[in-house]
Amino acid sequence: MATILDFFSALGTPLMLKALATAIVIGVLGGVIGVFVLLKGMVFLGEAIAHSAFAGAALGILLGIDPLITIIIFGLIASLGVGYVNEKKIMKDEVIIGIVFTSFMALAILFIGLMPYYSTDVTSILFGDILLISWENFIILLFLSMTVLIIIFGIKKELHFITFNSEMASVMGIPVRFINYLFLVLVALTIDISLKAIGAILVFAIIITPAAAAYQWTFKINKMILLATIFGVCSSLFGLFFSYIWDLPSGSTIVGVATIIFAFSFIISPKRRKSGTGHVVEDCEYCSKTIGGRQFCVEENCVAKDIPHKHDEKGLIIYSTDLHARKIPSKHKHDTDVNE
Amino acid sequence: MDAKTTKKDSKKYSTHDIVVCLKDVSVVFGNFAALYDINLDIHAGDFIGICGPNGSGKTTLMKTMIGTIKPYTGQIALFGEEIKDHIPLETRHKLAYVPQISEFDRNFPALVKDVARMGRYAKAGVVKPLSKIDKQIAMDALRIVDMDYAAERPFGHLSGGQQQRVLIAQALATEAEVILLDEFTSALDFRMTEDIMELLDFLSYTQNITVVTVGHNLELLRAYCNRIVCINKIIAFDGEPKDPDLDKAINTIFH
Repeated sequence: MATILDFFSALGTPLMLKALATAIVIGVLGGVIGVFVLLKGMVFLGEAIAHSAFAGAALGILLGIDPLITIIIFGLIASLGVGYVNEKKIMKDEVIIGIVFTSFMALAILFIGLMPYYSTDVTSILFGDILLISWENFIILLFLSMTVLIIIFGIKKELHFITFNSEMASVMGIPVRFINYLFLVLVALTIDISLKAIGAILVFAIIITPAAAAYQWTFKINKMILLATIFGVCSSLFGLFFSYIWDLPSGSTIVGVATIIFAFSFIISPKRRKSGTGHVVEDCEYCSKTIGGRQFCVEENCVAKDIPHKHDEKGLIIYSTDLHARKIPSKHKHDTDVNE
Repeated sequence: MDAKTTKKDSKKYSTHDIVVCLKDVSVVFGNFAALYDINLDIHAGDFIGICGPNGSGKTTLMKTMIGTIKPYTGQIALFGEEIKDHIPLETRHKLAYVPQISEFDRNFPALVKDVARMGRYAKAGVVKPLSKIDKQIAMDALRIVDMDYAAERPFGHLSGGQQQRVLIAQALATEAEVILLDEFTSALDFRMTEDIMELLDFLSYTQNITVVTVGHNLELLRAYCNRIVCINKIIAFDGEPKDPDLDKAINTIFH
């Protein structure tokens, strides 16, 4: 077992620096893209992409070419295929994902079986090792993740709208179809480039877990992205640290730390404390006792109901905005028609 | 122009203020006709209530108007332009659609002001962030629907009626000329529904917005709309709420 001091002295070596940089890049990328994967409810789709990418890696190793090429091809086929079937609403997407998921896994096993000898590369792709990333792969990772991040921040507000309600977004003229496919490509790329570092089985955890932890903390989309990024980077860094000092597989320590962050967030979530009964009680900025579960005043004989107001000691009502003064009295068109 | 439906209105309206025109529209799902031979003109400033029994094609009619469902036969014209494959962007910006929201995730990360700002996203375009003017327009829209006091609250924490108000604010923020609302009454109690109808009436009166609503509650639609359309695959009635034929039509389509 290495000591903490060993870890920091090892940071000077290029191998360790590279691993550290990879951890940070993957943490940022996974956190940012994970927020939208979570909000769009495509968790299982990501899992299917990860397994199809594994089949791609197995094919690459079998053919003796760089696995990254086949990984990206397979990842794109799986994500766009599921996306297409999902859009046409031919079947429930979970059925399609289940079929795609298992059939790609079958392909992967087939490719491994066809190999004349068992390659250790297969194990490294399946379980991943952040320390074994080559310089070439690191540069590709850096370049692709920058591209993915720039695109994600470019279409951030559209993605937020689509996850809120895609029907409204499409009626208002947002190119929903294009953005959905673009997002699928980005998710596939994220998974594909993180595959070598984290491993096919665990890669999806670095996307979904930090985002799910961030979801527990805030109602603001920008804050959620920031928190997911912080959680992602923290889990990668601490995962790498624990992996080094205890000589454990890096994929499992990274995901382990992420899971601990999630469990911690889940338990002490401010959202859960506030809305434990499903009613908003502490949320009212005017008066904690006036707003009940349906946001109506719970005070007896109160005429203000859901209009913001408060009751002072004498029982008087103070309107913070006088809503009725602004309104022009309703005039029905069919009432005026009578005169015609 | 279709003679059947516009005979009554032709004296009052001219043809150039027709915002939505459906001509001989039929919609077919598989081998089952959801809408058959619909002829409907919606004029600027109308407050239309579409009613009909379940499965009569109310929602289908609305989705055909906004281009989500393609008609099997017939033509659709929006703002005088015939729609072929897709609705051009400028025309889309004049339309706003408020869908039915029944169960909204309480913890969804969107504040009320975010939801109102979403109405400006399509106009701002991809990549570009919202300008100060866009944010101001969204805030003004919230003020019109009396929801500005809740701008910093999470959208999921609002009650059904308040959520509906915020969605109407979002539609207003797009500066749409036509607002289409799909069965918002089903999730709300009577008082809330009346509040929303009052708000829509206020908007159509002050901002000259054309409102198209879908609902089951005929009495409510009668009180607020200036035109009622009853459908049951075909248009059974199209006219003013005080028309005595309406009761006959209602009795026929609801059996």
